[in-house]
Amino acid sequence: MIELRDIEKTYYSGNVATPVLHGVTFRIERGEYVAIMGASGTGKSTLMNILGCLDKPTGGEFHLDGIDVVNLDDEELSHLRNEKIGFVFQQFHLLQRTTALRNVLLPLIYAEAYPDDAEDRADVALTAVGLEDRMTYRPHELSGGQQQRVAIARALVTDPEIILADEPTGNLDSRSGIEVLAIFKRLHRQGRTIVLVTHSDDVAEHADRVIVMTDGTIAEDRRVERPRDAERENAERTENGEQREETVT
Amino acid sequence: MKILRVAAEGFHSLGLNKLRTFFMMAGTIVGVAALVVIMAIGRGTEQKVMKRVQAFGPRAMMIIAGGGKDLPPPDMTVTTLVLDDAEAIRNEIDGLEVVTPQAWRFDMDLRHESNQTQSVVWGVEPQWHDAWNWQVVEGEPITADDVATMARVCVIGSAVKRDLFGDQDPLGKEIHCNKVRLTVKGVLEHRGVGGMGGVAEFDNRIIIPVTTAMRRVMNVDYVGAIRVVTKDPALMPQQAKQIRDLLHARHHISPPREDDFRIITPMAIAEMVRGTSGTLSMLLIALAALSLLVGGVVLMNILLISVAERQAEIGLRRALGATQRDIFMQFLTESLAVTFLGMIVGSLSGYGVSVLLARFTPIMTVASWEPLAVALAFALLIGTFFGVQPARRAARLRPVEALR
Repeated sequence: MIELRDIEKTYYSGNVATPVLHGVTFRIERGEYVAIMGASGTGKSTLMNILGCLDKPTGGEFHLDGIDVVNLDDEELSHLRNEKIGFVFQQFHLLQRTTALRNVLLPLIYAEAYPDDAEDRADVALTAVGLEDRMTYRPHELSGGQQQRVAIARALVTDPEIILADEPTGNLDSRSGIEVLAIFKRLHRQGRTIVLVTHSDDVAEHADRVIVMTDGTIAEDRRVERPRDAERENAERTENGEQREETVT
Repeated sequence: MKILRVAAEGFHSLGLNKLRTFFMMAGTIVGVAALVVIMAIGRGTEQKVMKRVQAFGPRAMMIIAGGGKDLPPPDMTVTTLVLDDAEAIRNEIDGLEVVTPQAWRFDMDLRHESNQTQSVVWGVEPQWHDAWNWQVVEGEPITADDVATMARVCVIGSAVKRDLFGDQDPLGKEIHCNKVRLTVKGVLEHRGVGGMGGVAEFDNRIIIPVTTAMRRVMNVDYVGAIRVVTKDPALMPQQAKQIRDLLHARHHISPPREDDFRIITPMAIAEMVRGTSGTLSMLLIALAALSLLVGGVVLMNILLISVAERQAEIGLRRALGATQRDIFMQFLTESLAVTFLGMIVGSLSGYGVSVLLARFTPIMTVASWEPLAVALAFALLIGTFFGVQPARRAARLRPVEALR
């Protein structure tokens, strides 16, 4: 599915070469839920950019769904991103003053063929993240958690091979964070491949597998024995919340 | 079509920031409006020229007493243009249909019983009616007999009839002009205002036999002008030269001495009419060029700023699958849409200004569709010229850096 072999990335600024990744190798199979961890400066973001086909490695091999990514040109990479990858960013990156529905439709605009049922798909995606009654809301009318859910719907609308989430809970309070992680958990349960980039152990524990980056290489690649279940935690939290509200009134 | 969807994104983002969009349009609006006004004035001027030439007579020339370069009124103190000059032109120049001398005086007091008015008195020959293509609607015109006998008769303009006679029938009545009694024998058809430099009210005049005018009313032995109508307008420049040579000989004028007459042709009239609106047009052309240029630079700057401002948006679009070309097309669409919209608003305002000019100033304007074609061409040119650079910059942003 995703196959990286001896991936290297070096940035050049004038005559100064700054190596960031030296020899990263791993495979991610379809349906896995993987967290990539690491402190800042460990090459975690660079790795994510390469996985997202936003940037090309300076060395090594990268196959995505059987496609040799390293030899693609800019236009082919654009199409690949559009078809195979659903991005979720820390800062949500929604178009301001634009409805949730229109934000979700955005990737389809750049699809080779605009589907006839585009609006239905957006509808389904927004319903999947629990925002079926917020379709015409604009970002400033939504909470942070809701905005991130719109972003997840946008990532889902093209039915991508991978959901690539970069610190998706980084700008959210813990409760909204759990809501977002619960959605990821459910998508995973439905068979999606999810790659979650984070610096937080708390967040990483929700995945089945954790890859830890240190100094541009993989320091650790392990299975999580008993992953946290955000869906259950979220359900319990909601129940408690409702009970609390009842006691207050 | 993907390109249409991308273009729709461009339109969408223009709608999100209307003030910015307006500033992007401003230069195009002013420039295009000026263009439209210029062309309306140009057409209006040509129509005015046509009208003046038509009123003057497209086949007519006027030989006017007095030198200098100005157009009428003629110098009434110049005494050298005489009836014999008219006779000589009639006999010696070929291809002329009518040659008719005329003497006139401004501000003559006319009286009928207790009614008074001021009028221009024209002494004419019978050919005058044909030379000016101006006939009587009541009574009789001036005849050769009237001229030969120095008859005390007159044909009056419709304004004079109104002032002196009101609703009465003027035919056969007497009016006093400079202590000379004249019998009204006819009334001229209505012609309105215009003609010689645009100052004359045509209908405020009476015409009398030229001999009567010279001997009885004005007491002079010279005329103010000779009107000539050619059979063939193509011969006019040549005939004008022949008349000039003939009068030079008759008046004993050789080069160092200035002419004591002027020959006015329809071409000279047209030139005069064009001259008045020429300066205004030059000014407007400068304004149009300047505002289109400045507007284009402003447009480009705002687009460049907006590319910088919207880096994250561009990065996002790239991440979601937009190609460099998609981004380029979106920004070019924004630029073109802005100039196109500016063109429409500018055309409408230009049209409005043209209508206002025509109504509230002496400037004549005629709106037409041609300026729209020119404006469209300009708008597309500016939209492309000043839009490509920002669009290229947007397209070349690297997604990773744009998203940061």
